[in-house]
Amino acid sequence: MPRRRLARLLLMVRFCFIHPPRHYPAQRDHIVNPAKIVLSRQALNPALIARLKQLAGTSIRNCMQCGKCSAGCPMAGFMEHPPSRTLRLLQLGQNIQVLAGRSIWHCASCETCTTRCPNGVDPAAIMDALRKLWWDEQGRSEEKEVQLASRLFLDNIRRYGRQHEMRLGALFNLQSGKLFKDLALGPKLMARGKLKLTQEKNRNLAEIEQIFARIEQMRQKGKTP
Amino acid sequence: MARIGVFVCHCGENISRTVDVEQVAAAAAKLPGVAFATDYKYMCSDPGQSLLKKAVAEHDLDGIVVAACSPRMHEKTFRNAAKVAGLNPYLCEMANIREHCSWVHEDRAEATAKARDIVQMMVARVKKANKLADITVPVTKRALVIGGGIAGIQSALDIADAGHQVVLVEREPSLGGHMAMLSETFPTLDCSQCIMTPKMVDVANHPNITLYTYAEVENVEGYIGNFQVTVRKKARSVDEDKCTGCGVCSAKCPQKKIPNAFDRDLGMRSAIYTPFPQAVPNTPVLDRENCTWFKSGKCGVCKKVCGPGAVDYEQQDELIVEPIGAIVVATGFKLYDIGRKPEDSSYKGYGEYGYGTIPDVIDGLTFERLASASGPTGGAIRRPSDGKEPKEVVFIQCVGSRAREKGISYCSKICCMYTAKHTMLYKHKVHDGQAYVFFMDARTPGKNYDEFWRRAVEEEEAAYIRGMVSRLYRKGEKIVVVGSDVLTGSQVEIEADLVVLATAVQARDGADSLAQKLGISYDKYNFYSEAHAKLKPVECATAGIYLAGACQGPKDIPETVAQASAAAAKVMTLLSKQQLEREPLVARVRESNCTACFACKKVCPYGAVEAKEIRDRQGKVVRVVAHVNPGVCGGCGTCQATCPSKTVELDGYTDEQIIAMIESL
Amino acid sequence: MSRTATALNYGYYPGCSLHASAREYDQSTRGLFGALGIGLSEVPDWLCCGATPAHNVDRLLSLALSAKNLTLAEKVEGDLAVACAACFSRLKTTQHELKDDAEKRSQVGRAIDGPVPLAKKVKHLLEILDSDFGLERLQQAVKRPLSGLKVACYYGCLLTRPPGVPQLDDAEAPTIMERVIEAAGAQTVAWSHRLECCGAGFTLSRPEVILKLTGDILAAAKEAGADCLMVACPLCQGNLDLRQQEVEKASGTRYGLPALYLTQLLGLAVGVPASQLGLDGLLVSPQGLLREKGLL
Repeated sequence: MPRRRLARLLLMVRFCFIHPPRHYPAQRDHIVNPAKIVLSRQALNPALIARLKQLAGTSIRNCMQCGKCSAGCPMAGFMEHPPSRTLRLLQLGQNIQVLAGRSIWHCASCETCTTRCPNGVDPAAIMDALRKLWWDEQGRSEEKEVQLASRLFLDNIRRYGRQHEMRLGALFNLQSGKLFKDLALGPKLMARGKLKLTQEKNRNLAEIEQIFARIEQMRQKGKTP
Repeated sequence: MARIGVFVCHCGENISRTVDVEQVAAAAAKLPGVAFATDYKYMCSDPGQSLLKKAVAEHDLDGIVVAACSPRMHEKTFRNAAKVAGLNPYLCEMANIREHCSWVHEDRAEATAKARDIVQMMVARVKKANKLADITVPVTKRALVIGGGIAGIQSALDIADAGHQVVLVEREPSLGGHMAMLSETFPTLDCSQCIMTPKMVDVANHPNITLYTYAEVENVEGYIGNFQVTVRKKARSVDEDKCTGCGVCSAKCPQKKIPNAFDRDLGMRSAIYTPFPQAVPNTPVLDRENCTWFKSGKCGVCKKVCGPGAVDYEQQDELIVEPIGAIVVATGFKLYDIGRKPEDSSYKGYGEYGYGTIPDVIDGLTFERLASASGPTGGAIRRPSDGKEPKEVVFIQCVGSRAREKGISYCSKICCMYTAKHTMLYKHKVHDGQAYVFFMDARTPGKNYDEFWRRAVEEEEAAYIRGMVSRLYRKGEKIVVVGSDVLTGSQVEIEADLVVLATAVQARDGADSLAQKLGISYDKYNFYSEAHAKLKPVECATAGIYLAGACQGPKDIPETVAQASAAAAKVMTLLSKQQLEREPLVARVRESNCTACFACKKVCPYGAVEAKEIRDRQGKVVRVVAHVNPGVCGGCGTCQATCPSKTVELDGYTDEQIIAMIESL
Repeated sequence: MSRTATALNYGYYPGCSLHASAREYDQSTRGLFGALGIGLSEVPDWLCCGATPAHNVDRLLSLALSAKNLTLAEKVEGDLAVACAACFSRLKTTQHELKDDAEKRSQVGRAIDGPVPLAKKVKHLLEILDSDFGLERLQQAVKRPLSGLKVACYYGCLLTRPPGVPQLDDAEAPTIMERVIEAAGAQTVAWSHRLECCGAGFTLSRPEVILKLTGDILAAAKEAGADCLMVACPLCQGNLDLRQQEVEKASGTRYGLPALYLTQLLGLAVGVPASQLGLDGLLVSPQGLLREKGLL
């Protein structure tokens, strides 16, 4: 068999096995129940609570575990830990588990939780803070693709000044190995002039690059959280 | 020459740990005018007080400074000891070297120096102190009870049974308050009306109680033991003396579709009506706003059919002035409304629950009316929208309560119990129905309370779900409840037929203006403030006014009755006296110096300043001066600070004394 | 805004998608505003606001990008008109977070190497139409009322949340979209999923999320008897339109609900030629529906 056809066949095979067909409605992966949490002054990790307060402007101590956030969260069904349980784990110092998990990456930033929390906790901001903590460390994580999408998005801004949607989609497909994702959509969008193949770079791209660079420097010097 | 005695207390270790009390006593002994100074371990104890009394006699003391804790703790103790020793009690002062010194500083040297300064100041003050005598005021032996719910009824009966006259003023046409609206009460599930109506009838029949219903307190003047209360009896349009309570007027009234507030607008009433069948008094009220006669001059049926001729369209509001010695405030509560609030309100409504626009989303009191045998559905549980029997009923706890973001931080105390009760009432009436309760905690601490709640869960099969509800929305005839169960970490969705919200208990509308009329304090939620959270739960800071029931804070019936009887006991203490003694630390005007500018009157928070006419021998008014009523004056000193001519001063806090204290340092 | 005689003029921040996958939103906005005599001057050299990915992983970067945009916006006169709900949210959030926090403001200032101007009024198109232009004037400008068209107004997440930031309308019971489209003669339906999330950016990395969330929204709109949806956010529109066929396949239900931008519907009503409204940009074509209602 010609090499190209074989390669394509292998790719399709890989696609079918490694990326199972989407089903509807979507399912939760698994419920995590730690058998035992051992607590101590150190294990409770008060420094983490302080850091989250600094980053998110909200204290997780205020969470009384009422569950209203999880009730209204559109993505709770896609998370192993709905928002109230993530906050609970953090209250018990279990940040390693939280940061390595996929739940924080499945938050849609819809702000429903923050809008309805009776005690003034801002779970949406906590989610941002947790993702940022992971982003700075780039440690272990069960999720890869949502981070990939974010990275490509920011990369585009650095490269062009504005989003290059075509590049975003194409690179995502390539780097996630989901080569055939939304393939049918491409031509439909192009026909309607909604998919630009090229993207002009901003005239002030140098200034934009400086913004990214300065923030990196500030972070290295510890001048910013 | 002054002969002051200084007693420095160790207060166990409380003071002596930080302050060198021996040094303070030694330094005090050297002050001019101090004839005796010593330190002692516990001045407030029996031997301590004996020490004080002995020293007064032995050293011929004419003034005392006890350097110890806060005067709020033991000023009374030591003043009594001084009195027993033969000294005018107001020549005894306390130097606070505990709360103001040893408890707030750590450095021993600095704290000791400060304690010495404090003692020095107090010695200077006592040197300039005047002998003062307690003020006596007369007592009117009549009590006023504002509010005719269970709290007001209980207080009134207790005071009246003790032999004193009581005036009870109730705003609604009938006694009963919220308890009359209830179906069954926890934890025993007895019928609310059955246990209450005998008490209501007792009030109406009691020879010592004057009952004004459909009346409000218009104005309050005066002070403890001597209040002048104006009561506005609103025009019922029915002569109470002639009316026999036959009910023909209500039956014949052509206006039948006025929403009845007693039935939470689920049931209707006529324009001339009694709010419920067991009303006391059983005298109807004519709602002039909704009456055809008053709106257009036509009808007049009720007057025509009234046998005794009791209907009187010409009746006017009546203002009655009652002399009163003590007042019990028992005005009760209202339930929080989830509707939209104005932008500047400190409360927020519940948009996520529909802002009150969904007809089958009701509150606890409305559910009570549904369950009540004398209610709009005769005790059958029915959906307000279409009258069908609901098979899936969802109860949501903590709506408004414990929600800082909605404006209410407190817990409303009664909802966990009444919701458990509602699930049981529902199950008793709809055997194939299911009750669900979304809750955060089950606060059931009273006697037999937790057992009651467990019965709801274990025997009556209510499904308790630990989690809150994010939103409610209509789906066809159902209401979709989007909630969560925190214990399993899942979202929970229920298509309910009826949703009952346990809304927060709040102070009634108008609670703040009544408090201002009475001159009592209230908190940011408009609940009335007790004088001391633990030790004075039924008294106000304003003397002569007492609190009973939910107007002071959310509480259930047993607590309300207990508090009502406690308030009554306080009233009886007051009324048992022929005269009242009050501390003489009040302001006094030097009439010869007063220019009658009345700046003091403007700033006095107690309204204690009056105009006094000085007359000559012929009775002609020569001058007008300010006069402080010693019975009302609260001793705050604002007048003294305001008076431009230094004419009014507070006994015990004269300018002379204060300046002496400052100059002594 | 600035007024010359009775004319309104605004600075304009379109945002990235309006130049690409949501080009019809830009087109119809310009068409509508042109017809109403409202001036729009695009901010020169504007940059991407960072949308959700930026604040998700680097809040300082997100604030800096918006601060830079606000700096550039100072170059155009008038209040800043924003069409995209996400861009609107980022700009408003930045102003809200930085106005009382001197430390954060100085950090952002260092990042963009310049002062952080926060005074510019940032307004969504809905606000401009509802308050500045006024519903009365809008009604008067209507040449072809959208009568008989049952519209389900879809707010999405960022127009009204979190409370205190967008300040557009009540977060739980907003009516601004309904007010605006009813002024054009349309009938709006009361439906249960006006404020529910469509899944937003997961359309890239987790499209199965869109199938569930957007599917629920389409189902609710259909149950309420809507003919079409009206949106104010390019990402919501993308999910509702581009993925509608997939949703239909996965759920086994036929929806056929065109998701139109508010400016497209209003443009039709005030007489902007259909060719200038980008109606052909929609995958779920509105042509049939609009012709049926006599609007095309």
